[in-house]
Amino acid sequence: MSMKRDVVLTVGVAGTMGLLLILGVMSAGIFETSAQQTRLPPIATEGFASARPRTPYPGWPTRDNSKFNTLTAIKSSAIPTEPRKISGPIAGNPEIGAKLVADRTRGGSCIACHVMGPAAGADLPGNVGPDLSEIGNAGRDDEWLFNYVNDARVYNPETVMPPWGTHGIFNEAEIGHIVAFLKTLKTPARFKTALDDPDRRPNPVETRDNLDSLINPAVWVVEEKAPALWMTPGATGASCASCHANPTQAFRTWAAEMPKWEPRLDKVFGVEEFVTRHAKATTGNDWLMQSDENTAISTYLRFIANGTEMKADIASAPAKAAYERGQALSMRKLGALNFSCADCHAPDRAANKWIRGQRLGELRGQLDHFPTWRTSQQSIWDIRKRLQWCQVAIWADDLPPDASAYGELELYLAAQNAGQKLSVPGIRH
Amino acid sequence: MAEKARIKLPKDAKRGEIIQIKTLVAHLMESGQRRDKDGKLIPRMIINKFACTFNGKPVFSCGLESAVAANPYLQFSAKVEESGTFKFSWIDDDGNTITAEETISVV
Repeated sequence: MSMKRDVVLTVGVAGTMGLLLILGVMSAGIFETSAQQTRLPPIATEGFASARPRTPYPGWPTRDNSKFNTLTAIKSSAIPTEPRKISGPIAGNPEIGAKLVADRTRGGSCIACHVMGPAAGADLPGNVGPDLSEIGNAGRDDEWLFNYVNDARVYNPETVMPPWGTHGIFNEAEIGHIVAFLKTLKTPARFKTALDDPDRRPNPVETRDNLDSLINPAVWVVEEKAPALWMTPGATGASCASCHANPTQAFRTWAAEMPKWEPRLDKVFGVEEFVTRHAKATTGNDWLMQSDENTAISTYLRFIANGTEMKADIASAPAKAAYERGQALSMRKLGALNFSCADCHAPDRAANKWIRGQRLGELRGQLDHFPTWRTSQQSIWDIRKRLQWCQVAIWADDLPPDASAYGELELYLAAQNAGQKLSVPGIRH
Repeated sequence: MAEKARIKLPKDAKRGEIIQIKTLVAHLMESGQRRDKDGKLIPRMIINKFACTFNGKPVFSCGLESAVAANPYLQFSAKVEESGTFKFSWIDDDGNTITAEETISVV
């Protein structure tokens, strides 16, 4: 064995890449017969895999979330255990209440999840929560109604209902107006069409052929841009093709096993972060997460594994621990609206129900089509960007795309999608 | 996105057959009605004309207006009597032209 090494070192090799290739081939030969050693692909371990400082995406709202839970910190105020005692009847203006329950600047608001009789003209209300069109006849007193809106956790610690009062989204006077409006609701809602009634609304089904280049602009990226990037040398003079001349063969199933625990950085790597750090270490390219180049290559790596059943490792010890952390994070209540991933996407909670006109999907079926073309954004979104937007939409704090917490969530999500066949790029609204 | 056009039409057809031609071109199709973050109108820049010929003779052409969405998809049919070449051209507000061509063999 040592003689073989001497031969390698004394041979004059042109270029670092050539030497690496030879060493790679040699060590594969040396080590294969001994312990089951897997050579880890080189990665750049310093620095961040996404742009710093972070600039907000154009058009994305920024909010102060310093007082509420995030995926990285517990900050929300303690959950009250006792309802507030309301001695006398609540004074409130039901006309103001009718406007507040439909106010989209207040996280929804109420009709995002509830049918409420004539509120907002019964225009596409949701059904995450019960139909409140006849709550005025339900025999609930003012104290109960007030506390349910103020902080429903005093009655149901497992509730999905945001703590509108405790988290300061509505003040006491406004909750009074809402209660006054609720007390006027005594007849079932009248919908203009079946589409407006969340219980009769047909489920949306994606029927477009996501792999037809005349339908999905993202297919152009995997057919043209990504193969061209693959061949383009970076700062070291090497391109992806220098080591991987035949990616469609070599990586036929690779992406289906992602995301993966990366021991050198103690975190879960998705395809996108792996591409950033591996490209940097080998070609010298700076393909940060969510850059056009990274998105193209990441989409391409999954595209060439299309049809393969997803199977991320959650059995090995560090992966299992990361999976369990991801599962716990998916159940953490976040942000001003106090929603966890599970609140909307677990089958025993709000999955398969409607938030206004949007149907909430189960976790299974959510990952096999990422990265996806989004027609409403005219761009390709990877799963990290989708997680970021979820957080912004629920008034929580979005993290950088390479956050460890997102890796753990992605691993948890991948496990729920085990067996689903990759079909990338997807196409969605 | 590349400034390439994508064309889908059959490689061959029978004489007198009516074939479907599908075309797609990458173009932002900026309508001229959007505003940037400072409130200024983003100037219009759209493809405003499309033309298709077969062996030099016109087959189908149209003018496009600013309501047409990004990456315009145009589909039309043509009756083919002989083998030859379809030529496609898209012209934008600045006079830039994107062209493509496809041949068909007719038996």
